[in-house]
Amino acid sequence: MKKAWDMFQGVVANAFVSLFSITCIFPIIWMIYSSLKTDKEFSLNILSLPAKPEFGNYARAITEGKIGSYFVNSMFNTLSALVVVLVISFITGYCISRFRFKGRTFIYYMFLSGMLIPIYALLIPIFVEFKTLGLLNKKFTLILPYIAFALPTGVFLVESSVESVPIEVEEAACIDGSSFINTMFRIVMPMCKPVLSTVAILTFLHTWNEFPLALVLIRSNALKTMPIGLTNFVGAYTVNYPLMLAALVVSTLPVVIMYLLFYNQIMKGMTAGAVKG
Amino acid sequence: MSKALRPKNIVIYGLLAPGLAVFVLCCIAPLFVAVYNSFFDWDGGPVKRFVGFQNYAELVQDRAFWSAFKNNLTFIFWTVLGQIGIAFLIAMLLQSRILKFKNFHRTVIFFPVVLSAVVVGFLWRIMYNSEYGIVNTLMRAVGLGNFIQLWLDNPDIVIGSLAIPKVWQFIGYYLIILLAAIQGIDQSVLEVAELDGATGWKKSRYIVVPLIKNTLMVTIMLCISGNMKTFDQIFVMTGGGPGTSSEVVALYAYNVSMNRMRYGYGSTAAIGILILSLGLIMLSRLAGRKKEEE
Repeated sequence: MKKAWDMFQGVVANAFVSLFSITCIFPIIWMIYSSLKTDKEFSLNILSLPAKPEFGNYARAITEGKIGSYFVNSMFNTLSALVVVLVISFITGYCISRFRFKGRTFIYYMFLSGMLIPIYALLIPIFVEFKTLGLLNKKFTLILPYIAFALPTGVFLVESSVESVPIEVEEAACIDGSSFINTMFRIVMPMCKPVLSTVAILTFLHTWNEFPLALVLIRSNALKTMPIGLTNFVGAYTVNYPLMLAALVVSTLPVVIMYLLFYNQIMKGMTAGAVKG
Repeated sequence: MSKALRPKNIVIYGLLAPGLAVFVLCCIAPLFVAVYNSFFDWDGGPVKRFVGFQNYAELVQDRAFWSAFKNNLTFIFWTVLGQIGIAFLIAMLLQSRILKFKNFHRTVIFFPVVLSAVVVGFLWRIMYNSEYGIVNTLMRAVGLGNFIQLWLDNPDIVIGSLAIPKVWQFIGYYLIILLAAIQGIDQSVLEVAELDGATGWKKSRYIVVPLIKNTLMVTIMLCISGNMKTFDQIFVMTGGGPGTSSEVVALYAYNVSMNRMRYGYGSTAAIGILILSLGLIMLSRLAGRKKEEE
């Protein structure tokens, strides 16, 4: 009797969690296959699979909706911010961890405070500041805040990982005649690869998905990023759902690829800061 | 560290300068810019009129601002309940021996976390659509047709309808954090509890919850600050409507500044938001500490 009850419980629990997993992934799968349907097919039955995959929606999204240009802008912003964030977080984290100098604690806590300052409160002030300084609507406009908001986590993660690199390594390098800069970039940096890849992944995801800053700091259509482009596009084609879904799929593609390649690291990286902090 | 290894101070400062410059420009300076502008009446043109604390007096009495903050609080209430409640339940099931394909479930449930709020917003807007939405189609299919609502057009339930996508998206995030904490519990403690007859609800309530209380407090704090900053998703799903029934503080500050061109008052609202968010975080931390002392 007890065994039967246990089995029953197991079946229920497995069924429940499986159902839950399906709810988490089904909207995405639905989004992908529905984007391959024609508008007519979609309105006849919203759940059915496409009879014949129709890539016309993608062609239209790219030619009429300028989705391609938004995609390129987002990629440019994301990759530029990513490279700079990696270099600056590493240098800053390394210096703060290794050297004692005047203002060290102050600088460290200033960066940490960045984790507490909510971006959405700074939205309008940044806009006003950039307007006064004439920094709005430039190719590099968004990269600056994207770097700034990714630095706190980056510095924090690098700082704690450099701590675990034995100093003897650097001493040995010094004796062998390696310069300070050479040791830092060619010897210590490779040893911090795991944490730097976490920083890279986090920066990529946040920057690619960022919306509010892109909304207020950029007016010119030629510079708009993917999330903003999507709102324009959807505003113009509200009635054609498959077309809308095709645009959503294009904008999600890089993130999906990243996730399929690095899901373990993404899960660990995104939650690491939380548990440690 | 030996002297030979340490570069001159000037080199260190030189290395730190670029990062500091960008950070100060985008994170620290805006705070001062906001405080400065909050004392002015300014529409973005050349004329700035100093008004002292008038903007602050207006903000304190601004019905629209406080109703937006109330919307924030309602939204936070539902999302915290949904995200942490469901995440805890799934985490308890995932750590038990009876569950199969644990890694698969973890990976799948976490996936929506990496999506952008804009994509989630649009996707759910289509899903909530009265004619072509999956939500209504599925509800009709399982016989719940009578409960169908105008999900995003009914002012009474719109906050709840907006909270569901947020809950859906972030359960995975809290699931991973809670799962790590639960798996950190000494297995023998759980086994002894089970031998003593504590299973299911009792085991969760009296054994697991007290043991992971610190992590729970951290997740609640993360959850509050994470949901306080909701902007993108509401912006694309309802734009704050119908009327202002789903307007949140960030959206309000945005509308005041960008649509009504009141940059001075918008800056005051920004400072208000900053104070309220930090206040909420402090409050939840204090509540957590008090609980611990008991």
